[in-house]
Amino acid sequence: MNSEIIISLEHVTKRYKVGDGDFTALSDINLQFKKGEFAGLVGPSGSGKTTLLNIIGSLDSPTEGKAIVMGKNISALSHKESAMLRNYHIGFIFQVYNLMPVYTVFENVEFSLILQNKSAAERKKAVMESLDWVGIADMANKKPSKLSGGEGQRVAIARAMVKRPDILLADEPTANLDAKNAHAILQTMKALNKELNTTFLFSTHDEKVMGYLDRMIHLEDGKIREDEIIPHKLSV
Amino acid sequence: MIKFLITGILRDKNRSLLPIIIITIGVALTITLSGFMKGVLGDIVDQNAKYETGHVKIMTRAYKENKDQLPNDLCLLGVDEMIDSLQMRFPQTQWVKRIKFGGLIDVPDSKGNTKGQGPALGMALELFNNKSGEAERLNIESSIISGSMPQKSGGALIGFSFADKLGLQIGDTVTYFGTTMNGSMTFQNFVISGTVRFGTAALDKGTIIIDISDAQKVLDMMDGAGEILGYLNDGIYVDEKAKQMSDEFNALYKNSDDEFAPVMQRLKEQNNLAGYIDLVDTFSSLFVLIFVLAMSIVLWNTGLLGGLRRYQEFGIRLALGEDKGRIYRSNIYEAVLIGAIGSIIGSIIGLSVVYYLQVYGIDISGMLQNSSMMMPSIMRARFTTELLYIGFIPGLFAMVLGNMLSGIGIYKRETATLFKELEV
Ligand SMILES: Nc1ncnc2c1ncn2[C@@H]1O[C@H](COP(=O)(O)OP(=O)(O)O)[C@@H](O)[C@H]1O
Ligand SMILES: [Mg+2]
Repeated sequence: MNSEIIISLEHVTKRYKVGDGDFTALSDINLQFKKGEFAGLVGPSGSGKTTLLNIIGSLDSPTEGKAIVMGKNISALSHKESAMLRNYHIGFIFQVYNLMPVYTVFENVEFSLILQNKSAAERKKAVMESLDWVGIADMANKKPSKLSGGEGQRVAIARAMVKRPDILLADEPTANLDAKNAHAILQTMKALNKELNTTFLFSTHDEKVMGYLDRMIHLEDGKIREDEIIPHKLSV
Repeated sequence: MIKFLITGILRDKNRSLLPIIIITIGVALTITLSGFMKGVLGDIVDQNAKYETGHVKIMTRAYKENKDQLPNDLCLLGVDEMIDSLQMRFPQTQWVKRIKFGGLIDVPDSKGNTKGQGPALGMALELFNNKSGEAERLNIESSIISGSMPQKSGGALIGFSFADKLGLQIGDTVTYFGTTMNGSMTFQNFVISGTVRFGTAALDKGTIIIDISDAQKVLDMMDGAGEILGYLNDGIYVDEKAKQMSDEFNALYKNSDDEFAPVMQRLKEQNNLAGYIDLVDTFSSLFVLIFVLAMSIVLWNTGLLGGLRRYQEFGIRLALGEDKGRIYRSNIYEAVLIGAIGSIIGSIIGLSVVYYLQVYGIDISGMLQNSSMMMPSIMRARFTTELLYIGFIPGLFAMVLGNMLSGIGIYKRETATLFKELEV
């Protein structure tokens, strides 16, 4: 497996202004992720998981320290450059599926490729392929409101994967799913991770998710308490 | 991307319907009001030109100063010769003479006693001279509601409500009492040959129309006339032409200090018409301005509401890698599309209403019962090419402006904040 480092966080600190003072959501985070990892940020609610994912996803930037993603320093990017980074290299999956309600499943998945100015034929091929990966190719023309929770999250995965990103950030992706759907989706993601060598980074406090991870970074009050490699996975 | 936006507009009725309705109403109103004001003003100007002012009018200086009193003692003399020379100097214009006069109409019964009486506004025209075009100009033939045109000296037409008031029949004789231009008493019998309805209350209530030769006899105005009117040959008033003509004519008498020297006034200088014309123009521009402002504010607010509703969509699009500038611009494209749709529908509605009002008009004769203003009793709109864009452009502009203002909110917001609003 390729051991190229694609995410590197050095002394990352994030403070929010709260009233007159500051609230430190992340403090002195040092982490590196290699291509193809299947890792998770775990910790209680409010421990800073989402904040960290948003910084890696270039939706936010650190107050101090450096976040280097795909060789780019997040703090130094313009709006356009960070949009480009997201468009070509990073996929997002959220706790709520966040599909655009007026568009069909197909159109929701297609959108990233429109931004990349791909031709209609290329788009169609890629969209159908990614809907296939998650097993809902037959729902291409449905509206999001007609989907079940598990189906909605599958569309979200297809939308994130359709552009074959290097990094997939999943913020509590199973929180709204029952056990059966949660496992199905995790298995799908694991398979995609193997097949496409995409780096997966989760934020979760769901035991089911933890069972699939190769690496768990435990966060508490914005600090890393433990960076744990899961041994049985290494033997695979 | 455009297809993506159009799909969104068509499927998301909340996004498009309200702005489209607002723009449609605004655009339709603007077009209707403009068309209507232009039409009514045009008719007022046109009627004034025909009955009162001509495209240009020649009077003596003294007559001009007192023209409200119909001062025929200050009339022009030697008018036939003057008309010949005017026709030579300004051949693109038709010249006619008219006398307006006041007096009393008395209706005698069979024994010669007064049966009815009323003040009259007399109009003496070149009725018997077909070349003058006066009968056509004033549309007299089709304004006659009973009887016919006077065929010979001593015949008269009378306003229909005047005739009603005096209880006159066709063929009845009336006696006119008045003063000659020299100030002595005069009276003369006329036979009513017909009644007319001009659709202008001021005329219908008190007018008597006779040939100018009769008036010259009764008023002792041989070869005289109160006014000489000039009409541009194609019948359309063009201020530049009128001005050129009046400047040239008035220059001839510049050095004369004779108070009976003739002076030429163009339509715009008479009866405050310049004031009306400018007023309507100002009014139209003001209306369009207020409309654009009001629409922009309303659309700004609907844009803000729409934006709030769509934070989720914007957040997703940001996450998927669209940059804020592009989202902002795509909102403007949407505004252009929605603005164009609303403006087209509004223009179609507005133009249809204008067309309807041009053909059928609004009858206001009831309101003009006691009015002495020279105003058409059916108000009609008028279609002009200006109406094709006078509503369309402001409609589009208001929508785009409104969305630019509401979009600034999206633009200013931190990406992370906008994005976090996604979270539940
Ligand atoms: N914009 C913000 N302003 C102030 N505090 C914030 C803001 N965003 C997050 N926080 C705080 O930072 C902490 C970490 O939040 P978050 O990263 O969302 O935690 P998690 O995803 O682990 O639940 C929380 O205490 C939260 O209240
Ligand atoms: Mg969170």
